[in-house]
Amino acid sequence: MTGTETETQTQDTHEPNYDEAFDVIVVGAGLAGSAAAVTMAKRGLEVLLIERGSSPGAKNVFGGVLYTPTIRELVDFESAPLERYVAEKRFSMLSHDDETALSLRPGEWNHDPHNDSYTVLRGEFDEWFAQQAVEAGATLVTETTVTGLVRDGPQIVGVETDRPDGTIRAPYVVLAEGGNSLVSEGADLKDTESRENVAVAVKEVLEFPERDGVIEDRFRLVGDAGVAYQYFGEGAVGDAFGGGFIYTNADTISVGAAYRLEDAATQKQSPEETLNLFKTHPAVAPLVRDARTVEYSAKTIPEGGAESIPDLVHDGAVIVGDAAGLVLNNGVHLEGTNMAVESGYHAGRAIATATERGRRDADVLGAYPADLEQSFVVQNLQRYAWMQEAVEADRDLLFEALPRAFADASTEYFRMDRQPKESHAENAKRTVLDALGGWTGAAKLALRYRKVVT
Amino acid sequence: MSVQPDIPTVTNDSMEDRLYTVKYDDPGESHLDVKVSDVCASSCDTNDCASVCPANVWRETEDGVPQIAYENCLECSSCRFACPYDNVVWEYPETGAGVTFKHG
Repeated sequence: MTGTETETQTQDTHEPNYDEAFDVIVVGAGLAGSAAAVTMAKRGLEVLLIERGSSPGAKNVFGGVLYTPTIRELVDFESAPLERYVAEKRFSMLSHDDETALSLRPGEWNHDPHNDSYTVLRGEFDEWFAQQAVEAGATLVTETTVTGLVRDGPQIVGVETDRPDGTIRAPYVVLAEGGNSLVSEGADLKDTESRENVAVAVKEVLEFPERDGVIEDRFRLVGDAGVAYQYFGEGAVGDAFGGGFIYTNADTISVGAAYRLEDAATQKQSPEETLNLFKTHPAVAPLVRDARTVEYSAKTIPEGGAESIPDLVHDGAVIVGDAAGLVLNNGVHLEGTNMAVESGYHAGRAIATATERGRRDADVLGAYPADLEQSFVVQNLQRYAWMQEAVEADRDLLFEALPRAFADASTEYFRMDRQPKESHAENAKRTVLDALGGWTGAAKLALRYRKVVT
Repeated sequence: MSVQPDIPTVTNDSMEDRLYTVKYDDPGESHLDVKVSDVCASSCDTNDCASVCPANVWRETEDGVPQIAYENCLECSSCRFACPYDNVVWEYPETGAGVTFKHG
């Protein structure tokens, strides 16, 4: 860090002094960083990929499902360390002791390319993906922490690291440091996200040591098929705004809960306790019993959506992935790693083009945010930009009253006694309508949330 | 509705056992701190850092300044975002130290 002051002395000639070893430095070898690195290395750029962990993926945590349409295009996907393909998606509402669920098993998902949806474990996957960048020509350095950016006047011209003589200069820096973006924030390239827009997530990877085949039996799986179960309601995360999940890996399952930090703070609801309660729900416990914890992990998720995306292009630097807040959570779709890859790809292309043209101004790099806006990444975030606020306003209804009402209504609808079904149906309907505020309330709610699925 | 009579027992590991599953390389000094102790002692009575922490790093104390068990840290950064006084010092542990997730 000590070099920063001296190095910001402006040189009048204004051709910044680069080390000339690298065209670009990528901060962070997660999915966004490696996607950028492989894209640029393939275009012939000298790429330095810096990772603070002992290996790529060592500091990375996610729920469990990776969507791979872009990765498939970027690298030799056949060699990717995948756990299982997603053969079933299940959306489940949990009240205190009820479950109401919708399960989807389209036949098509069992056939290659499996809707490009796979469970992976990041330790293995990120290391493999970074290796693809290395094989394309990038230089990977691990156990090296970027502590700040080097400026020459307004221009970002390199990075400071914690290694001896750790200043490295290059014309471009890609900031792919994740949601805990200390470098970007420290350099005033983005604001710290408010806690209303950040979720805390905890996860356990569990194994079943007693016998083989437990995962296949419990989740009705054959071969490489797997499941992605999403849960919401008070049975999943108590009084918080968020949800729980179970994803099947090859020999383990990933079980976790994610909810707003604001709720963790104000409701004094600890992440560990929340995870424990989710795992002991009557509908969840049979799936996770007799398991042994292989790994416990945690992370924060930037969920500010479209409005929270910072300026993506700075003089000599771009921001990608979680650091750019590119995460989608609309209750049905939980995506982030695919958006990280997409953003890294577009940023990498823009920098490669700028390098080929010998230009480094923000106009050339402007291709990155322009392309990203045309891509599914920003399109999807904008499509659901209204949701966060709406769900927050309706949280008691959506997370508590409705899951209970649906469970009570189904109990009533299918009740076996000596009353005619007409009275059961009427009671069931009344239960749901009472929760929704009558037909008017139901119509308003349907109108408000129609865009989630239509 | 009544609770199911036979919910299988799920044995959750203790925090200690959970943290034991994670590889940790002690950097020797804390990557976490509070910026101004007096803010914790005088202004803060909610201890949000302790409430949100998934790893029992932040602990309430008598004098109001949290004790920091940094060697428990999973590097999720919840404390940094949660502190309403922006009073958390959070630095990346250097040269590969800190937590290593094998699976993630």
